[in-house]
Amino acid sequence: MTEQTVQVETVQNRQTDDAAAMLQVTDLVKHYAGAEHNVFDGISFSVPKGKVLVIVGPSGSGKSTLLRTIAGLEPIQGGTISLDGQVIETGKPGNENSGRAKRPEALRTKFGMVFQSYELFPNKDVLGNITMAPILVQKRKKAEAEREAMQLLERVGLADRAHAKPHELSGGQRQRVAICRALILHPEILLLDEITAALDPEMVHEVLEVVVELADAGQTMLIVTHEMQFARAIADRVILLADGKIVDRSTDPEQFFTDPQTERAKEFLHSFDFKRNRTEQAEEALERFDNE
Amino acid sequence: MQGANILLEPGVFPRLLQGLWVTVWIAAVSVGLSIPVGLITGWLMTLKNPIIRFIMRFYLDFIRIMPQLALLFIAFYGIARMSNWNLDATGACVLVFVLWGGAELGDLVRGALQSIPQIQYETAYMLGMSNWQSFVHVILPQAVRRLLPGAVNLSTRIVKTTSLAVLLGVVEVIKVGQQIIDANRFQYPTGTLWVYGVIFVMYFIVCWPLSLVAHALEKRWAND
Repeated sequence: MTEQTVQVETVQNRQTDDAAAMLQVTDLVKHYAGAEHNVFDGISFSVPKGKVLVIVGPSGSGKSTLLRTIAGLEPIQGGTISLDGQVIETGKPGNENSGRAKRPEALRTKFGMVFQSYELFPNKDVLGNITMAPILVQKRKKAEAEREAMQLLERVGLADRAHAKPHELSGGQRQRVAICRALILHPEILLLDEITAALDPEMVHEVLEVVVELADAGQTMLIVTHEMQFARAIADRVILLADGKIVDRSTDPEQFFTDPQTERAKEFLHSFDFKRNRTEQAEEALERFDNE
Repeated sequence: MQGANILLEPGVFPRLLQGLWVTVWIAAVSVGLSIPVGLITGWLMTLKNPIIRFIMRFYLDFIRIMPQLALLFIAFYGIARMSNWNLDATGACVLVFVLWGGAELGDLVRGALQSIPQIQYETAYMLGMSNWQSFVHVILPQAVRRLLPGAVNLSTRIVKTTSLAVLLGVVEVIKVGQQIIDANRFQYPTGTLWVYGVIFVMYFIVCWPLSLVAHALEKRWAND
């Protein structure tokens, strides 16, 4: 709680608590029209430049909604969102139905978003999907955009699929294309919304590999995931979201996942045993199944 | 088989083809103009403004409930005469078919636009596209694929419904057929079947390619 209080004070001074904070969310309130409770009841956190913040929490805790409000896809009813020290969104009570935020195009492209369901454009091939926004929005030359798109595809191991249509790709490949499509706009912060949740288990790895590589390259990211092993491996900071509040936060992910300090974190992480590897857990589960 | 010889009379085929040209012209112009009208109508139908919604609803229902023939009579004998508008029969046909085609196509466009998941709009928004860019480059191409079968069906209906133009005195393919039959009533009493048979084949030749093109596009876009 003390950490939150400190952040409230700093916002009154119009300063960020973290000198290098790229994204600062302060006292965010989110409410749906007609709903009894707030989805978020004044939550604050920051993401420093080049760091990875992972948001975990039980289903329905609002993890995806949090990303969507930061992305400008949903209006907020209180608090502020700042990027690079500039307030870009200020909550107004009663604007529940006002739709997407009226952000200028240049600001929108500072956020790259990757959705669970890939959302590639079915009428374009892989290259067309990636180069559409740079050409239309950033007015870049087609040849130059295609060159960068090919470099990105090379990086995610899909250079040979540049002319494939989305339906010809596997889920894992589509998601890697979606990541390239976000990256080509050089977003300051990448928002990943359960990007492996719709994938077959064997494809999860190929996508997460790309994300780990991005983290190593210093890409600032805000990640919502159910993959705890992945979260543990990639996070610089973790927040645990429940009941519209941040119930635990940590700048030491290793400790958070292996030796949680708060009751809520212990309760949440109870189902994930990080001391043993997956195979052991799977064998144990099978054994239980046989016995029943 | 005697009656078949009516088709060999000099001038019969050229006249039928002339009539067919009138039919095709009315249908093609109507379908061509219905496309922009339908796109705009469909877009207006997706707006939330209650006044626009009501007007569009009224427009669509009015056109749907009215028989096309009644609309043709209203346009040609009613509105054009009353307002002293020098609208010829062909013009009245095109006007009615565009109003009808635009309304029906508009409803197809509305359905197709609303069937595109909201998250595709959100994706375009996140990529920085303006509303117009996301409509033209993301939403519309997908919507067109979805409304194609219905739109082709509508086009063939418009082609067939042009036959009502006879009743306004337009000399299109059916009228030409009637004239040929009447002129040869005594020489070829059984010619009727043959003349209408040829007209049947002509309609088929006009509409069949539409189905073929639609089928080919549907196949090509099957996975898009």
